Amino acid sequence: MKLDPSFIWEAFVKLLPVIPTTLLITVVSVACGFVIGTAVAFVRIYKVPVLHPIASAYVTFIRGTPMLTHLLIIYFGLPMIIDAVSAQLGLGFRSASIPMIDFAFLAFSITAGGYMSEVVRSGLLTVNRGQIEAAYSVGMTTPQAIRRIVFPQAMAASIPNLANSFIGMLHASTLAFTVSVVEIFAKAQIVASTNWKFFEAYLAAAVIFWGLTVLIERVAVILEKRMNLYNRGGVA
Amino acid sequence: MIKLTGITKSFGRNQVLQGIDLQVEKGEVVVILGPSGSGKTTLLRCINYLERPNAGRIAIGDFEVDCERAGKKDIHALRGKSAMVFQHYNLFKHKTVLENVMEGLVIVQRMPKETARRRSVEVLEKVGLGEKLDAYPSQLSGGQQQRVGIARALALGPEVILFDEPTSALDPELVGEVLAVIRRIAKEGITMIVVTHEMGFARDVANHVVFMDGGAIVEEGAPKDIFNKPQEERTKQFLKRIMPEPAYSI
Repeated sequence: MKLDPSFIWEAFVKLLPVIPTTLLITVVSVACGFVIGTAVAFVRIYKVPVLHPIASAYVTFIRGTPMLTHLLIIYFGLPMIIDAVSAQLGLGFRSASIPMIDFAFLAFSITAGGYMSEVVRSGLLTVNRGQIEAAYSVGMTTPQAIRRIVFPQAMAASIPNLANSFIGMLHASTLAFTVSVVEIFAKAQIVASTNWKFFEAYLAAAVIFWGLTVLIERVAVILEKRMNLYNRGGVA
Repeated sequence: MIKLTGITKSFGRNQVLQGIDLQVEKGEVVVILGPSGSGKTTLLRCINYLERPNAGRIAIGDFEVDCERAGKKDIHALRGKSAMVFQHYNLFKHKTVLENVMEGLVIVQRMPKETARRRSVEVLEKVGLGEKLDAYPSQLSGGQQQRVGIARALALGPEVILFDEPTSALDPELVGEVLAVIRRIAKEGITMIVVTHEMGFARDVANHVVFMDGGAIVEEGAPKDIFNKPQEERTKQFLKRIMPEPAYSI
């Protein structure tokens, strides 16, 4: 086997146009995952009746099963449910008209939610009890205290872990190729299938992923610096 | 002005407050003394509802709460009557000195930002921190942080300020600046309840001293009576240990 350096470049250029797809899957799943994760974290911390055991079960199930299974369960299971409901109600809607990428959005959001709930929860736990007591003492309600005092501090403390989740989801988004979404990894396979130079195509894909990851790391560092400005004295 | 009736509080099986009755007049400075574990901090926290009493009644001004039946609204309303200064300051870490003081005014009292800002600056100048408005708590000394804590409480204009061992976490040389500020605002006639181990402060500033032990009030009265001729044996023992006779004389 001989490496064909010029094809690495060629593949690299051909992969560039699908970067937005990969980023879109990542951003959507992280954003939705963050919302789900935050809700789950609060439900677990405040031990909300009924929801609390459900939230715990959700987190252990999601973390206890591979992300690929979440995607495939949604991909095969959801259309069955949708078509059955649609037929029952006499709607003309067919699951086949749902774009493939929507299954990836949904499944990955559910996955990200499970992992990110723990990120948010650990962030919330770093905030000293005295902070919420002080908020109460100036007359705030619990929602005000959480929104204005606890949550911002929890987020500042969570940035490194959130960046980790983001990078994890960026790389995991490659799984979308199994449901025929053409993101970077799928595109690399397509590019290579004409001449069987898979190695070169995957190298090009790796370079792109690395580049995107470095970018995320940089942004995280900047955010961390800015949001933790208040810790610079390092006394309290 | 403030009236506590039959306040009880247990943590699990440990009954920390055994039915406290206490009355505080407007403008009074009440100092609560007692050995650690006597329930004085818990009592103070009950007044602000940071601890929920098991039973009893709390009245501040014309607002009264029955602790067994208090709902969210009652608790919220009661908290609005008092403000707390904490042992560990508990300043909002992510907010500047000015924002710390403005927060309650803007968010809770719905004061326009400009008015809140003026009021906050005024109060911060009073505690000697007019130069530190834009500093974060982590950039301040303990004494400065505690003075911000006092300013935060004072700015709210509460009926009573509760001080929970305000100087216990401070380096000895910083205690003076904080006590000086508390003394100054005591002179303005603001009602205060102070839990402290600073006996000199208690003697000078208090109008009313309460000695607690084992979750009950053992003795209370004017400072000169409590310090000079305590009636109860338990009070005598405590004062002796806190303010021992000099071991030698010159």
